[in-house]
Amino acid sequence: MEYLSTEKILIIDLASSIVEEEELEESLVSEKIGGVGVTKYLYEKFENDDPIVIGCGLLTGTTYPASASGIITAKSPVTGKLAHCPITYKVGVEIKFSGFDYIVIKGSAASPSYLWIHDGVADICDAVDIWGKDVWKSTEFLRELVGDDLLQTIMIGPAGEKQSDYAQVCYNHWNSPDRFGFGTAFGAKNLKGLAFRGMGLIECADVEDYVSRSLEILKEVKNNDFLSKKGIAELAKAIGEEDLTDWLAPITHRHSADYFTPYATVTALFMDEDPKIVEETKVAEPGVLTTDIFALIALKKAGFSAEDAGRLLRATAKYGIDPLAVIELSGKTSLDECSEAFDSLSGNLALKGKGIFSSWCPARPIFNDFGLSGEDSEAIAWWERRQAVAGIFGIQPLFALMCPELSEENMLELASLGTELDLDQDVLDAVVAYVCD
Amino acid sequence: MSLRLLCLCWAGSLMTTTKSISKIGIYAGSGTSHSWLWFVDLFENNGLHNLSFLNESNVQKGLDDLDVLVISGGDTFAVAESLGASGADSIYKFVHRGGLYIGSCAGAYLPMNSSKKPLDLFNFVDVKITNLSKVLPATVKNSFKFCTSYGCGFIFHPIREEVSLKFSNNALPFCPLTFNAPLYGGPGMTVTDPSLVLATYNSFTTNTSFLVSEALAGEILLEKAAVVRVPVGKGLFYLFGPHLEHPKFPIANQFVSDVINWENRRSKNFGSSVPISDKSITPFRKLSGMTKKTFVMDIKRELSNSRIVALNLEFLPLRWMIGKKIYEPEKIRVFLESMWSRIKFLERIDRLHIFSNDMETIKTTSISLTQGLRKLKRAVDENQDSLAEATEIFSQLKQLSMAFYTMYFLTLTHKG
Repeated sequence: MEYLSTEKILIIDLASSIVEEEELEESLVSEKIGGVGVTKYLYEKFENDDPIVIGCGLLTGTTYPASASGIITAKSPVTGKLAHCPITYKVGVEIKFSGFDYIVIKGSAASPSYLWIHDGVADICDAVDIWGKDVWKSTEFLRELVGDDLLQTIMIGPAGEKQSDYAQVCYNHWNSPDRFGFGTAFGAKNLKGLAFRGMGLIECADVEDYVSRSLEILKEVKNNDFLSKKGIAELAKAIGEEDLTDWLAPITHRHSADYFTPYATVTALFMDEDPKIVEETKVAEPGVLTTDIFALIALKKAGFSAEDAGRLLRATAKYGIDPLAVIELSGKTSLDECSEAFDSLSGNLALKGKGIFSSWCPARPIFNDFGLSGEDSEAIAWWERRQAVAGIFGIQPLFALMCPELSEENMLELASLGTELDLDQDVLDAVVAYVCD
Repeated sequence: MSLRLLCLCWAGSLMTTTKSISKIGIYAGSGTSHSWLWFVDLFENNGLHNLSFLNESNVQKGLDDLDVLVISGGDTFAVAESLGASGADSIYKFVHRGGLYIGSCAGAYLPMNSSKKPLDLFNFVDVKITNLSKVLPATVKNSFKFCTSYGCGFIFHPIREEVSLKFSNNALPFCPLTFNAPLYGGPGMTVTDPSLVLATYNSFTTNTSFLVSEALAGEILLEKAAVVRVPVGKGLFYLFGPHLEHPKFPIANQFVSDVINWENRRSKNFGSSVPISDKSITPFRKLSGMTKKTFVMDIKRELSNSRIVALNLEFLPLRWMIGKKIYEPEKIRVFLESMWSRIKFLERIDRLHIFSNDMETIKTTSISLTQGLRKLKRAVDENQDSLAEATEIFSQLKQLSMAFYTMYFLTLTHKG
């Protein structure tokens, strides 16, 4: 598969330390398109090895708007079922640039290990220097070790190492959409995490038309009024759950976006530095970045101050545990009590739909109605399809809920332009049905 | 690394002849910058694959098995210092017995008559420098690359980047009328015999960057020699002020290739290099299967590790003065990307041809290069001086590149 792809699937057996590569066949792309379509296929192919499969969408890392995401597919220690967690920030893109479209991780390592994936090279490395360290220290250690300030990581903290319930994989320093306890799955494999860096380029079959159509679609996207808004508080308000605006405003420092995503879904909260500071702060740990709408809503409802909410989010990001699970399942209502409950969570968080996609993502449209009637069952079915489509093409999953201009039709059009394959609605329908089955 | 002869299968271009194909030695030892890599690209693109990569020791031992010696850019004083009297003697004998010397930029300054030590060891051609002054003129920008002290005076650089060259009417038959090439510190030249001048600096272009006033730059360079061809003994010195080998100037590149082929065809003395006897040729290894795959993956791993750190260094305000030459972090990746761009070829082919000592050099140097770059980055992050680390890194980059390219061209010439 020459286009929009690195052409390679990486198969890592942690038990034997054998690293193999398989070619990403055009026939597989023709059948499963990409992203979650292929990660599920690979999961099933290697199911006996209890794999964790990491991958990118077909359009990930291109000029298609919001083509930012990757996907983790594995059996959830929380639900016991196959589940898919989006890879956000700029980590998803870096996976593709580091030289592999898909990574299958089989078996368990004899001793704590991490994977260093760079420019088409995959190294299984001894994690002795980071096992036992929290997510922040681990990421910082690896960035310093390889001399790269832009290194992207998928990392577990002490929660994952201890295989605590709701241990979360984190991205770089931050909490992720993982509501499935994938941190526990990593810990069970003695896998501390993955570090990615690459300077690869992606080939495109028809570059001029691909870029030109991408820009036309981006122009249509920019007609949306909601793009004048920014940040997580606006998302919470838009879905009608809770108005976080005034609560968060005193500690909101800035908002940022995932790769090539027109809406800034990430909000930086400063608890230990003046949020109005413009120059680079000299405080080592001024605050936290968050994308977790429902964790913030739960913290506010539980009576947390915004500062304490930020501090708890920071603590969960370091420890590598799902912050929503902490606040909902611990029954605690103070920062100290919650922090002490990280390793003793029990119970279940509510799932959405069939429970295969992360409930981190609101199960309804945001800012636009997408022509839905407002009935819950309709919304859930729509949401599940929309998450599947976003996962197949690598679209930022929150932005996919905001923007009707990112249509299945034009994703297929761009995929066909980029690959020269005839990818049509019938193929997409079949892949969505396969993923949602 | 010893000087070695690489066998050749050349499928000729413009100047195909039945004579044996030129054996080209590229000096990549102390004092050179990165521009010798441009010659590597140029020769590869033009089917001139019979290449050796020389350090100062190789030159000092003699150049009997070469037809062409190339010395490109860098620090002329450092090159002269490293080659020393025995290196100078080798070059003198090489040209006198019929060898073709191609000097670009620093390599052009080297054989010019000079009273300054150690340049006076290389007084081979009576060519004068026009950009030499006892009093330094005012610079308008880019002052850190503006001049080099030269005894009581200065070599100064009136412009950088692109300049237009005009060929003389009596120049070689294949010469274009005009073409452009970049000047990065090379000389403007005058000679007493105008027939030695092949090309002059003709005009500046919209891409010319002036370091002095345009009027003064014109006075120093325009109508002065940019390319000279000086017969000495049975051989020739070709001196290029601008970098005709720069990869963004294909017409200039073609000229260089055509010069070699043309001189090869017409000279009785070309091809008079002494073949290395079978016994003196270092035997090479053939790597295939998993051994080859693992070895290439090891190179790829360390090149990747190194280029990742090197890219990070480019975001930092760094610059090192090594010898008389300023080096920026960007130059590190020129070496690395040059090798990296050939990795896919090495992955694709079934068999690698490599000398055992090069295999060891590549393995150990690539690992220590990664470690050195990471150490340098840590030093910079901690606001420590990094000159010693940078000096070592540039030395290792040359060492690694020489071994890598020896392997690469050995493999290329044995490929079919």
